[in-house]
Amino acid sequence: MKKYFKILIIIIVFILCFIFLNKLVSPKYQTNLIEGHMIKEYYKEEKNHEVIFIGDCEVYANFSPLIMYKNYGITSYVRGTSQQLIWQSYGILKETLKYEIPKVVVLNVNALRYNEPVSEAYNHLTLDKMKWSQEKIEMINNSMLEEESIFDYIFPIVRYHSRFSSLTSEDFKNLFTDNNVTYNGYLMNKNIKPVTNLPTKKILGSYTFKDNVISYLDKIRQLCENNHIKLVLIKAPSVYPYWYSEYNDQVIEYANTYNLDYYNLLEKAQEIGIDYNHDTYDGGLHLNLYGAEKLSTYFGDILKNNYNLTDYRLDNHISNIYNQKLSVYNKNKGDE
Amino acid sequence: MNIIILIFSIILIASFGLSNLIYILISALTTYLAAINHKNKHKKLIFIGTIILNVSILVFFKVVTFNNFFNLVNNKNILIPLGISYYTFQVLAYLIDVYRGKIKPEKNLLNYLLFVFYFPYLIIGPINRYNDLSKTLYKKKKLKKDNLFNGLIRISWGLFKKYVIASRIALIVTTITSNLNYQGAYVLLALLLYSFQLYADFSGGIDIVIGFSKMIGIELAENFDSPYLSRNLKEFWRRWHISLSSWFRDYLYIPLGGNHCSKIRAKINIIITFIISGLWHGINYFFWGLFHGIIVAFQGKPNDKYKTLKIILNFVIVSLLWIFFIYPDTLTSFKMLGSIFTNLNYLNLFNNILKLGLDLVNIIVLIITLIILIIVDIKHEKIKTYLYNKSDEVKLIFLGSMILLILLFGVYGLGFNVQDFIYSKF
Repeated sequence: MKKYFKILIIIIVFILCFIFLNKLVSPKYQTNLIEGHMIKEYYKEEKNHEVIFIGDCEVYANFSPLIMYKNYGITSYVRGTSQQLIWQSYGILKETLKYEIPKVVVLNVNALRYNEPVSEAYNHLTLDKMKWSQEKIEMINNSMLEEESIFDYIFPIVRYHSRFSSLTSEDFKNLFTDNNVTYNGYLMNKNIKPVTNLPTKKILGSYTFKDNVISYLDKIRQLCENNHIKLVLIKAPSVYPYWYSEYNDQVIEYANTYNLDYYNLLEKAQEIGIDYNHDTYDGGLHLNLYGAEKLSTYFGDILKNNYNLTDYRLDNHISNIYNQKLSVYNKNKGDE
Repeated sequence: MNIIILIFSIILIASFGLSNLIYILISALTTYLAAINHKNKHKKLIFIGTIILNVSILVFFKVVTFNNFFNLVNNKNILIPLGISYYTFQVLAYLIDVYRGKIKPEKNLLNYLLFVFYFPYLIIGPINRYNDLSKTLYKKKKLKKDNLFNGLIRISWGLFKKYVIASRIALIVTTITSNLNYQGAYVLLALLLYSFQLYADFSGGIDIVIGFSKMIGIELAENFDSPYLSRNLKEFWRRWHISLSSWFRDYLYIPLGGNHCSKIRAKINIIITFIISGLWHGINYFFWGLFHGIIVAFQGKPNDKYKTLKIILNFVIVSLLWIFFIYPDTLTSFKMLGSIFTNLNYLNLFNNILKLGLDLVNIIVLIITLIILIIVDIKHEKIKTYLYNKSDEVKLIFLGSMILLILLFGVYGLGFNVQDFIYSKF
C-alpha cells in the first residue's frame, strides 16, 4: 500500500512538473504578439453584452466598444482574432452563446475570401488561449495546416519547447497571472501611418466564395436565428486587402436572400469621416485609435437606431463597470 | 504473443508498401527452404543459388537507388525495400551457419518468419544471429514489470540521444555541410560533432530497438561498446556497429582466408572486407572503407601505453574519415578534408560560432549533454546495473525525468526538420 502511495505521489509530481513546463514555455502574449491574448480576456468579463463582434483584425482594430458605450450606452464586446477564419468565427460564436445571448451579432465578412487555413502562427494566436471545449477541438481540426499536429495545441511544450532558450522575465512574471491588453476586445493603437498607395485590383482565378465558406456562414446565420439574435454583416473600412466588388455583390445577395442587414463601411469611409492620412496605423490595413473612434461613433449610431438596444448608461451596475474601464482607456489614450 | 508480434510486424512492413512485404517474404522463404534442404543431394546448388538470389536483390536495390547510379533505369520511383540490408544479412548468416553445421535449421515456418520479420531491427539493425535471438525470441512470453521498466529506461535513453543530442548537433552540421563556403576549421568542427551525432543517432536507435525487445522479453545483442573509447581503429571496429562488423568478419573476411594465410594476404583480406563494407554503404564510401581497411590492416594489438592520447588520436582519425558521410560525393569530401589543413580559419570560426544554427543556451545544453553521453559511455555497465536494480520508484523518477528532459530540450516538432535515423538509409 505504501509503495503504491509513493508511486502515486511520484506520478502526481511529474504531472505537475509537466503542467508547469507547458505553462512556462507557452507564449504569454503580454508584450509581444499581444493579439494572442485577446481570446482569453473575454472569459474574465461580466457577460452582459448586447452586441458581439466576430471576425478578423478588421474588428478588433477598428471597433471600440467603450466609445459605443460612452456615446450610446451600448454594451458590446469584440471577439475578434488575427486572421479569424469563418469556421473559427463560428466556433467562437458558439462558445460565446454558452455564456450569453446578445441581441446583435456583427460579423465582418472579410474572412469569406479564405477557404483554407492561412498560417500556423495565426491559428495559434486565435486558439492558444481559448478555453478547451468541443468548439475549440473543431476549430483546431478545421484550421490545422498539413504540417501541424493536434498535440501542438493540446500540449504547448510540443510546439513551444524551443522557447526554453529564449525565456524572458515575462515568462516567469506572467506564469500564473496576466493583464488585459484590450478594452472589451478592442486593441488600441495610436500610431499614425498614412495610406500612401491604394491597392490595385489583381485578377483572380475565381471570385466566388467557396461552398465550405458559405456553409459556415449558413451555420452562423442559423445559430443566430435559433437564438433570436439579429445577425448583421459588415465590411470594415480597411483599405487592404482589396475588397472586390464581386465579393461585395455576393454578400449583398446573401444578405438579401436571408433578410440580413449588410453595411459596407468601406464605401462609407468619407461619411464616417475617416482620414486615411491620419486614421490608420499601418498604411490602410487597420484603423488607429482616431479612426476606430470615428467608426465606432458612426456604427454605434446605426446599432442604436436600428436594433432596439438598451442605454446602459442608466444602469448603475453596468455604468460602474464601464466607467472604470473608460477611465483606464482614457488614461492610456492620453486624454487624462 | 509470438503470433501477435509476427502479425504486427507483417502489417507494419506492408504499411510501408506491399512490395516491402514481397521482398522480405522472398528472402525468408528461399532461405527457409534452402536451410531445411541442407542435406539434399543438390545442396551446393541450392545454397549457392539462394545466396546469389538474395545478394543480387540487395545489390540491385543498392545500385539503382543510389543517386541515379549508372542511370541504368529511371530509379525515381524505386524505393529500397524496408530493412533489406538487415534482413538479407540476417538470413544469409543463418543459411551459412546451417550449411556450416553450426546451427540446426528452424523447421517451424512461423518461427522462422518471426526471426526474419521481427520488425524492430528492420530500421537500423542490429543484425541478429539466429543462435542468439532464438534463445529468447521463441520463449513463451510473459510481460514482466522489471522488463517493462528496464526496457522503457533503455528506450528513454535512446530517445534522449536521438532528440536531445543528435538532432541538436545536426543543426550545426547541416548548416556547415550545406554551404561549401564553410571550409577549414568549420569542416573540422562539423566532423568532430558528426562523430557524436552519428553515434548518438545510431546507438540511440539501437537503444530503442533493444529496449522495446526487452520490454517483451526478447534479448538482443549489443551493437555498441563505447566505441570512441577505443585505442586504435582495430579496437574501434570491435566496438562499433558490432553486429555488422562481426558479420563481415564471419561471412566475408574469414571465407576470404582471414588470417590463416600469409601476412600480406591477411592484410589484403582486411582491406577487401573494409572496401566491401564501404561499398555496402554506397559508392561514395569506397575510400572510407579503403582508408579504414589500410589503417586496420597495419595496426597492431592496442595497449594501454599513453591510453588517453591514443583514444583522442583514434577519435580524431575516425572523425576525419566520417568526411565521406557528410558530403554528397567523393571529390567534395576530399576537397573539404584538404581544407582542414590548408584553411586555418579558427579565429573566424570562433567569431561566427553562434551563426551556425545554435544559440548560446543551446550550445551550453549541447556541451552538458555531450559530457553526460561520455560519462554514461565510460560508466555504462555500472549505471545500467545501478538503475536496473533500483526500486520501481527510482526507475519511475528516472523515466519521468527523461520524458520531461526530452520534451523540453529535444529538437523536434514544427520548424525542425528532424532527420530519420542516419543508418536507416543503409
